[in-house]
Amino acid sequence: MNSSMTIKKLYPLGFIILFFFIIACKDKKKDTPKADFDRKEMLANMGNNMIIPAYQNFRLAALNLDSAIAVFNLNPDATKLLFVQNSFKDAYLEWQACSAFEFGPAEQAYLKMSLNTFPANTTKINDGITSGFYNLNALANLDMKGLPGLDFLLFGIGKDNSEILAKYVSDGDATNRRKYLVDLSADIKIKITNVLNSWLPTGGNYINTFVNSPGTDIGSAIGLFTNQFIHDLEILKNYKLGIPLGKQSGGVLYPEKVEAYYSGISLELATINLQTLERIYLGKDKLNDGQGYDDYLIHLGAQYNGNSLNDAIKAQFSTAISKLQAVPNPLSASIVNNRIVPENAYKEIQKLVILLKTDMCSSMGILITFVDNDGD
Amino acid sequence: MLKILKDKLSTLLNVEKHIAPLVVLRITFGAMMFISILRFVAKGWVRDFYIDPQFHFTFYGFDWIKPLGELGMYALFFLMAIASLFIMLGFFYRLSIVSFFLSFSYVELIDKTYYLNHYYLISIIAFLLMLVPAHRYFSVAVARKPSLKLTHVPSWTITIFKFQFVLVYFFAGLSKLTSDWLFDAMPLKIWLPTNAHLPLIGPLMDKEWLAYVFSWFGMLFDLSIGFLLLNASTRRVAYFLVIIFHLCTGIFFKIGMFPYIMILMTLIFFSEKFHIALIRMGNNFFSRFNRFDKTQTETPVFYRIHPLKVKVLTLVLGVFFLLQLAIPFRYLLYPGKLYWTEEGYRFSWRVMLMEKGGIAFFYVKDTMSGRTYEVINSDFLSATQERMMTTQPDMMLQYAHFLKSEYAKKGLENMAVTVESFVTLNGSGSRPFIDKNIDLAKEKEGFSHNTWVLPFKTNLDQ
Repeated sequence: MNSSMTIKKLYPLGFIILFFFIIACKDKKKDTPKADFDRKEMLANMGNNMIIPAYQNFRLAALNLDSAIAVFNLNPDATKLLFVQNSFKDAYLEWQACSAFEFGPAEQAYLKMSLNTFPANTTKINDGITSGFYNLNALANLDMKGLPGLDFLLFGIGKDNSEILAKYVSDGDATNRRKYLVDLSADIKIKITNVLNSWLPTGGNYINTFVNSPGTDIGSAIGLFTNQFIHDLEILKNYKLGIPLGKQSGGVLYPEKVEAYYSGISLELATINLQTLERIYLGKDKLNDGQGYDDYLIHLGAQYNGNSLNDAIKAQFSTAISKLQAVPNPLSASIVNNRIVPENAYKEIQKLVILLKTDMCSSMGILITFVDNDGD
Repeated sequence: MLKILKDKLSTLLNVEKHIAPLVVLRITFGAMMFISILRFVAKGWVRDFYIDPQFHFTFYGFDWIKPLGELGMYALFFLMAIASLFIMLGFFYRLSIVSFFLSFSYVELIDKTYYLNHYYLISIIAFLLMLVPAHRYFSVAVARKPSLKLTHVPSWTITIFKFQFVLVYFFAGLSKLTSDWLFDAMPLKIWLPTNAHLPLIGPLMDKEWLAYVFSWFGMLFDLSIGFLLLNASTRRVAYFLVIIFHLCTGIFFKIGMFPYIMILMTLIFFSEKFHIALIRMGNNFFSRFNRFDKTQTETPVFYRIHPLKVKVLTLVLGVFFLLQLAIPFRYLLYPGKLYWTEEGYRFSWRVMLMEKGGIAFFYVKDTMSGRTYEVINSDFLSATQERMMTTQPDMMLQYAHFLKSEYAKKGLENMAVTVESFVTLNGSGSRPFIDKNIDLAKEKEGFSHNTWVLPFKTNLDQ
């Protein structure tokens, strides 16, 4: 009797000893000290140093474009057309720094869909101009507006600038076309102004909501942010490269489906897009290197095949960017004449998607869906 | 010898017990289900899960179970809500509990994307509640027709629930006896730090030792709690632990209503005195409205069951519990690492054991011309469906067959479907998951081992 009692009492003790033994063994192996990390600080860095400045820059570019169009419309000539075209390119480049932030105010305003649904439906645009009737706010009409719409109107309606200019001066629809140009530009200006205001402390103060939502489930700031961060990379892979390369169509190429087909700046846009995603990953704005996913992964000690996951991701960003930069301009021509080069960029971006969507998310325990779970 | 054992068991299961524990279970179950159904609808999940998706991952052998369309699905949830209320009230009980069991199980069988052990448990409890007279005391039915009233039932009607809960906890504990859980503290090592923002305890969440403490405590809790609840002398402490444990998991993880359901359901372990006291409290409350019997003393009325019914019940419950005991072990019939292949993983009370993330690029290929079509999964699946599919081989197979038929509709017949996929399991880092040369559209769904799942390689193997 007595001895069985003693044994029973010893069970928990045995467990406790085994337990501490295991922890002791573990700690010896651990050689990387955990860096201090605060998710709130990362969110503040993203919000204050990346998201709001990106929106501010894009808004300025959109205002410039809008006033350039207003000046052009008063008295269209070749110089002013060129100025509008350059302002447009500036704005499109600035947009690339904003496209990853499609949550909160941007999501509510359908910002990305409104501003950058490509390819534009040129038939619908031309019909709209001829008839003078169109509803730019309808969800069904996302493909007749935004930056892709302007890309067509400023570069795609004639084989050179003098032909394009003629469409705004002497063409039968010239008046309607000038109005359409203004309407598209105004739509962009209003959308970005509203979204920016929703973020600013002086407006909707979403920055405050964003920074003070420190959980990791999907409704949390980090969940929303990460989801859209990866989604933006998938759009780059599937829509900016994959579809034109015939990935979804059994090898039938669609070079005219690239982003900014008419102005031919697809590669510059894609490169800025990818470089922005890299900066977001690093938490790095133009001036300083704040807290980003890199610090988070270092803090967690995340591994990839026995080495640092952060190093693997950083290396893959560099490879993907250099492969993208290696593609000759314009992208639409390279897709037809030199397919292997954009194919290589596509492959490297795919590898990056794998690292971010599986390794990074899994290391951070980020849930990307809203449902209950029991971890299986 | 066997005869003696059989007689002993028979006496043990048939000794007359007060019906009160069964009644409390009925009321709490009905109430929790009512709240859960409302919550599910309010979150918009009926639409997100069962109306919007164009494809569903059915369970093998249950592909005849289809969503009922918008009106049908909402009607079904309305029916479940009403049935839950009626179960709670003990009003048209048999009809309510049977329709609840059937409609709840139907919904769960539509799509395995949403499979949770919690939902499986609810189906089981509803099933067992169909077999017992839980409505014949302190119910609207008895208030309307006093002759229905019972005070005593054979103890098996209560024991089956206790046995079921002991099984759930014990199997959950057994499933934690792995080196991932005990020696690497995975996946808690990943999940706990996600709570670093919580007040007070937040800063502790980043500490590695805490993941070990939680893992070991969780394992010991699951293995022992069922027995501690059965034992009268440890019951109070055990129930206190139940509350702490489930509330903690409720705070740390997104597991919805489950912790609260378990806290209330495990009241069944308490003595009949406890339950009688609970009901008396309820009775005193309601007697103010003069609807219920005010007398404190009651003449015993025993449950009489027809001998044929006893035979049928014994058979049904015998088979049921044998299956309950066997199903969690079916994984032993499959080769490979269980967490990786997930063959025999579901319906085994394995909870919170894996942090698994994956990605899958599907290719539909014309083998004659070599033309390849890469699939954008979000064109066909919801985000939740895609996420679950990318880590579960059986779902990838179903999806491959679906893709084959979708592309055939577009005029692309006889296509091969392959997948290039990567999965990370409990911090292993992403590695190839499915053999990318296999035409999944040619592989059959079934219970046999999926040979096209690549073996799990640890870093040491590489």
